[in-house]
Amino acid sequence: MKRSVYLLIVFLVVVFTSSCKDPLQLKPKSKLTTVSVWESASTVKAVLNNIYRGMGHGANQAQMGSMDDDGSSIPDLGTGVVVQSTVTPDNMGNLSSSRSDQFKWGPLYKYIRQVNVFLKKVRNAKIDPTLKKHFIGEAHFLRAYFYQNLMKAYGGVPIITKVYGINDKNMQPPRNSFKETVNFIISEADSAASMLPTVRTGDNIGRASAGAALALKSRVLLFAASKLYRVNPSGKAFTGYTKSQDPTTLWKKARNAAKAVMDLGVYNLYKANPAPGDSVAKNFHDLFHTQQTNESIMERDFTGSNRDQSQNYRPWQYHGPNGFHQWGGTTPTQNLVDAFKMKDGSDFSWNNPQEAAHPYKNRDPRFYATILYDGAPFRKRPSDDIQYDQDGVIQTFKKLTLPDGETVPGLDTRESPIEPWNGTYSGYYNRKLISADQVPHTGFYPGLWFYFRYGEILLNYAEASIHLGDYAAARNAIDKIRHRAGMPKLKSSLTGSKLMSAYRNERRVEMAFEEHRFWDIRRWMIAPKVMNQDAEGIDISANATNRADRSTYYNYNYKVMTYQKRKWRDKMYFYPIPQSEMNKDPKLKQNPGY
Amino acid sequence: MDKVKQLGNTLIIAGSLLFFLLINGIACAQQNTVNGTVRDDSTGNPLPGVNIKVKGTTTGTTTNGSGHYSFNVPSLRDTLIFSYIGYKTKIVPVNGRTTVNVSLKSETIAGQQMVVVGYGTQSSESLTGSVSSVSGSDLDKASTVNTSESLGGKIPGLVMVNYSGEPGHSAPVLRIRGQHTLTNNKPLVVINGIPNPPGGLNSLNPNDIKSISVLKDATAAIYGVRGANGVILVTTKQGKKGPSKVGVTFNQGFQQPTRLPKMADAATYLTMLNELSRYQGNPPVYSKKEIQKYADPNSNPWLYPNTNWFKEGLKSFSMQTKGNVTVSGGSKTFQYRFSLGALRNGGIYVNSATHYNRYNIRSALSAEPSDNLHLQFDISGRWENRNYSSQNGANIFRYMVQSYPNYPGFWPNGKPGPAIELGNNPVVMGSSATGSRHNDSYYFNSRLHLNYDIPHIKGLSVKGTGSFDKNFLIDKRFTTPWTLYSFNKTAYIANGKKNPSQYLTGVKRGPATPTLNQQSTNGDKILLNAIGQYKRDLGNNSFNVLFGSEYQYSQSDYFSAFRRNFLTAAIPEMFAGGKAGQTIDGNGSHGAHMSFFSRINYNYKNKYIVQLIGRYEGSYIFPKGKRYGFFPGISVGWRLANEKFVPAFFDELKLTGSYGETGNDQIAPYQYLNTYSFGAGYVNNDKKVPTLVPGVSANPNVTWEVAKQTDVGIHTKIFNRKLSFELHYWNEIRNNILAFRSGSVPSLTGLKLPRENIGKVRSWGYDGSISWDKHFTKDINYSISLNGGYSTNKIKYIAEPKSIPQWQRQTGKKMGAGLFYIATGVFHNKQEISNHPHEQGARPGDLIFKDVNGDGKITAKDRVRINRNNYPTWTGGLTLRAQYKNLHFKVFFQGNAGASKYVRTASGTFGNYYQQYAARRWTPEHPNANGPRAYNRQQAYWIAQENTYFFRKTNFLRLKNAKIGYTLPKKIVSKLDMDSVQFYINGYNLITWTSYKLGDPETANPNLQGFQNTIQNRGGSYPQMRLYNIGFSLKF
Repeated sequence: MKRSVYLLIVFLVVVFTSSCKDPLQLKPKSKLTTVSVWESASTVKAVLNNIYRGMGHGANQAQMGSMDDDGSSIPDLGTGVVVQSTVTPDNMGNLSSSRSDQFKWGPLYKYIRQVNVFLKKVRNAKIDPTLKKHFIGEAHFLRAYFYQNLMKAYGGVPIITKVYGINDKNMQPPRNSFKETVNFIISEADSAASMLPTVRTGDNIGRASAGAALALKSRVLLFAASKLYRVNPSGKAFTGYTKSQDPTTLWKKARNAAKAVMDLGVYNLYKANPAPGDSVAKNFHDLFHTQQTNESIMERDFTGSNRDQSQNYRPWQYHGPNGFHQWGGTTPTQNLVDAFKMKDGSDFSWNNPQEAAHPYKNRDPRFYATILYDGAPFRKRPSDDIQYDQDGVIQTFKKLTLPDGETVPGLDTRESPIEPWNGTYSGYYNRKLISADQVPHTGFYPGLWFYFRYGEILLNYAEASIHLGDYAAARNAIDKIRHRAGMPKLKSSLTGSKLMSAYRNERRVEMAFEEHRFWDIRRWMIAPKVMNQDAEGIDISANATNRADRSTYYNYNYKVMTYQKRKWRDKMYFYPIPQSEMNKDPKLKQNPGY
Repeated sequence: MDKVKQLGNTLIIAGSLLFFLLINGIACAQQNTVNGTVRDDSTGNPLPGVNIKVKGTTTGTTTNGSGHYSFNVPSLRDTLIFSYIGYKTKIVPVNGRTTVNVSLKSETIAGQQMVVVGYGTQSSESLTGSVSSVSGSDLDKASTVNTSESLGGKIPGLVMVNYSGEPGHSAPVLRIRGQHTLTNNKPLVVINGIPNPPGGLNSLNPNDIKSISVLKDATAAIYGVRGANGVILVTTKQGKKGPSKVGVTFNQGFQQPTRLPKMADAATYLTMLNELSRYQGNPPVYSKKEIQKYADPNSNPWLYPNTNWFKEGLKSFSMQTKGNVTVSGGSKTFQYRFSLGALRNGGIYVNSATHYNRYNIRSALSAEPSDNLHLQFDISGRWENRNYSSQNGANIFRYMVQSYPNYPGFWPNGKPGPAIELGNNPVVMGSSATGSRHNDSYYFNSRLHLNYDIPHIKGLSVKGTGSFDKNFLIDKRFTTPWTLYSFNKTAYIANGKKNPSQYLTGVKRGPATPTLNQQSTNGDKILLNAIGQYKRDLGNNSFNVLFGSEYQYSQSDYFSAFRRNFLTAAIPEMFAGGKAGQTIDGNGSHGAHMSFFSRINYNYKNKYIVQLIGRYEGSYIFPKGKRYGFFPGISVGWRLANEKFVPAFFDELKLTGSYGETGNDQIAPYQYLNTYSFGAGYVNNDKKVPTLVPGVSANPNVTWEVAKQTDVGIHTKIFNRKLSFELHYWNEIRNNILAFRSGSVPSLTGLKLPRENIGKVRSWGYDGSISWDKHFTKDINYSISLNGGYSTNKIKYIAEPKSIPQWQRQTGKKMGAGLFYIATGVFHNKQEISNHPHEQGARPGDLIFKDVNGDGKITAKDRVRINRNNYPTWTGGLTLRAQYKNLHFKVFFQGNAGASKYVRTASGTFGNYYQQYAARRWTPEHPNANGPRAYNRQQAYWIAQENTYFFRKTNFLRLKNAKIGYTLPKKIVSKLDMDSVQFYINGYNLITWTSYKLGDPETANPNLQGFQNTIQNRGGSYPQMRLYNIGFSLKF
């Protein structure tokens, strides 16, 4: 008996003292340690894949387009402070929301660090040299892309290429000048272009290419030549040029960069020459719902798996009309609608009684591909709503008078019996991003977001050409765009500022809700004009003999009204650097006006 | 008896195989027989199970159920030793008699209550630190489902807030002396010596709990790197010597919510929508006549519903049933206790899919195969079965608050009405129409404990424990489309308001096809320890020295799968789903602790007591070379009552003081490594490609938090120990708190900062108790006890930039104190707006924000850090007990004060308003009202920006339990061949007094948009329940 107890004690002592391994030396089960990551091509590639996510996408609920003259946000989501210019470094509204991470200081620098780490580590990774070259090229492209977004939002920013350690002493760099920032982006894009294939094929589709790097260069040089940075109202080096620049040199660079992409000869407009029977509107709409067309220079594809939700790519749910149980999201303004010309190329005017009586007739085909308006044929209503609309037609009229004198509101309005808080204020919904084929409520479906498409390059080329006085080249590029859209050519008499305003309108309607207008009105310095106009919408009334049957509607009456106050202050040319960052880095200089 | 012994030996042998032990039986000599009866000295009742031993031998026996004993002694000149727990040991020479009747004096009067302190027990007299305990019999076993909840108000300084009453997911948060750190404040729970066993405290069967003690100060240093937040030690019951006893309890409860939010009715709500419309310059949406119809109860319910969603969505009561059976008994050498508990708790929703079932079994075996050896072998198992609809409880209650009062829950023909959005009609969400969620948790705990007194060396003993625990959780959530009905008003009216049912259209809501989420977790935990103890009592000096070592390892695996596109809702199994869009996920984790510890107690003349504690402990969480830390504690006590200069009036007067350093390692592991984890993926060539996401930058210096705890206390007992009083003051400095340096590291570095050991928090407070125990005669008995505590804290250091204005700094404020604008009132008119600094676009009816920095503008700089959070600073409980003959009464009050919560709803066109809000609101017609006007979602600046108007105090006092019991008289009971029979009724959460009028003060708010769907977080804002219970307990 006693002996066994002693045995037990000995046993316990042995158990506790004899383990030769440290019992506390455990390896993480759910994470890779840094060392093992750089040992194989597949893990190195996965690290790089993650950096692509930093490019984000612009299909968010509050798109950039909800903060310029093209649109507004239904649930506001902090866009109000932007369009009323009351943004402060403490309260940036939607500019600081996670919905627009791709333009935010912190998230962009987080991804820039990932590039910096990647470039530092990948050099010693034992992987195939060609693959390594491509990886390095992609990393340079991504770094250029992130700085491009910083440049658009903030101007010149600190250029960080080193990898900070948590105990580093000097972590408070000052801002680089606008010029240095642009030069850095260009050199990064050049490195990328020199290391990457022109286009990517097979399983590399969707990754950066030389074409994408050149397109990025075209965009950045177009910005760099633009008025905002040349005029540089504040005179600070981080908001533009401090010495006067020769505009011709800048525009030549911009034009050459666009030309370089065109000269690659691998891109064209999607359905550049519509076949006789084509619906040009459908062609144009399909462009945004067909993955990897010949127009695509770089796009982000979504597979429709629910995991893609992590970056909230849900255009249908976000932007679809409330009368289909969707959330409205970013809705077009009357200001944008009026920018669409008549199909014959003439201006639309409310003063033309014919046009004012039928404002949605005979418009630029892109109007029908971009905007959902009252009377637009769309898709079958959900079963509970068919009682009000058997035709699946958008109803944004405020008042429909029925034969018995009763008046009812449209299904897709804020007075709708269906989820009215998601109803549009303007009387319009976004069509460009949403496809009528989608099943409501699932949220996930395959789709894409363009980072660069060939259409933009043609427009970039045209803009630079106008500035260089090469009007014919400019018109030629614009006409390609117009031809695809089924619009007549520009008159050859259009030159100078008239051509410029035609170009600007073309760019606006062609690239609405593609995250361009917000920046364009700044770099052109037309924001003081367009953003001091209140957001306009449409107030429609009509009569009908049968509410559910659209063909019985008559006696339409359209009235333009304003629904959102807007105010421009010049500080809004740039984002403020968040106050929390200013607090932490005393060497940072705040953007003017904040 | 022999059979029992045999069984015991068999079990012990089986159990001891683990330790390669063999145990021999014990031979008995056959000589002279002595018999007699042992009785209680004061009551005269026979005492069963009393130990009787022949002095100097191993011979002995125990008394039977009627207190009688009979056994053979070597000689009639021997001396017998009678010992019994809770009674003074009596030594009686036989002196040639063959019948020796003895009465034993109860020892409880002497206050020798033994308190579990970790790796052993101490008498309450000799305690030098702040340790409180509550015995299992004081827990409200009849009504509470969650054992943690039953601790609220029972232990001075223990803070309990119950955020949810959802069956199976009531969410009591326990904090010992409040909050101490910016990271994890969870105390360590040790059950039968096993730290953090799977299953924890919440779902232990309270009937199995013998005692719970709480280490509140440096005494927790015995748990080293895990002791800083205090330790809750739970000891379960063991078998008792004596004949087999069976106990049965049964409770049937009827429950209903304590307090529900009151929402505006349809007419008020529509009036407010008209106001909103008016504020936007638009005409009213609803005519006065129409609104009037919504207010009229005689209106056509098809056209003018006026819905109280809580009434529509909830039943008048739900059932809770509990039953328990225990069998215990044993011989001198072998004791057993088996218990079986079962519980069913129903949900309060109409057509509720919610119910929680719990089955606990526990077997506790103990044996003394020889005088020197004591063994315990416990096995317990538990099955928790949770059932819900597919929808999250927090969300259901959120929609009860939000849903339009002018929408019907059900149409008059019983079909569910439409929802605000996404099919979220709360009367349907809680039912199985939306699918089902089944969550089963299985726990298995086993433990073998041995205590061996080394022969020949008096006072030296060794102990060892080995335990193996296992848990397995499986969760299946099957979401199916459900149907809601919308009504075509126009057509109904147009056709002369006949046959309303035919104008209903059923619409499918929820996912397009059923979806199934299935997850499982599989974990185990092993513990081994060995302890040596030397305990001597040498006249004036007595000491107790303990050394030990302990190793604990745990691991867990997780697996989950998801499919959609089920052809039918009939088969909620994975195979029946479609492969498109399916996902699979899995993960694993493990952890280990290794430690060496010691405790030395020294007592001089029972006056001066010193205790030294040290634990040297390593945790896998930290890097090699920095894993181990030393955690010391010292405490001293001076029993003044034993000093001559103190009047004899004091039965007890003790001063105690303690100081110690304990650790907290409840942080994410491996922060010393640079790691990559798998991300959400990216898409190339229309295929998902993997992504690796960098983790935080490595912090090679990461270490545990250190709590420096000081405690001083006074304990007195006077009036023959009838009045006792205890009070402690404590102070803690928590250093090395892991906090982000993000307040000072610019984001442009791109660093994903690790937490670093830079934070510092001071916490302090008082806690104590006072109790009065009086017993008039045999028939009348009463006691009162009150306990309470105050705890607060202050951040001493947190990384924040210097440029932050003083009034916004976290430093110097309580943890969790938020930034708010100070709402000083309502702009009654335009004049007032122009008189005050105001936000752009302010209009009458808006809240006035205080211009704190006096710059004439309202900016983010005017926000002030308000020194309140959602933890109470004052907590306490009051228990009154009385007994008159066979009747027992008990009343228990519990209260919390000092906590606040932020209350904001998604009101306006998107949802309803609180009735209180509606009643107080400013309108152009009531320009002097002091509540803000009707608002729409977040459109008003004072809704979008957090301000003090919506920050409400949640102080409360509850009549937590009131019980009346009747014990059948002995005469009747003995006729029934029983030991005791008791019937009782009680009410739980009967009355709540609070200034908080927007629902239950403890229940978490319905979150505005938040939607957490993990099973752990799903309880949400399900209110606490008031329960009426009837029950009985039988012993035979």
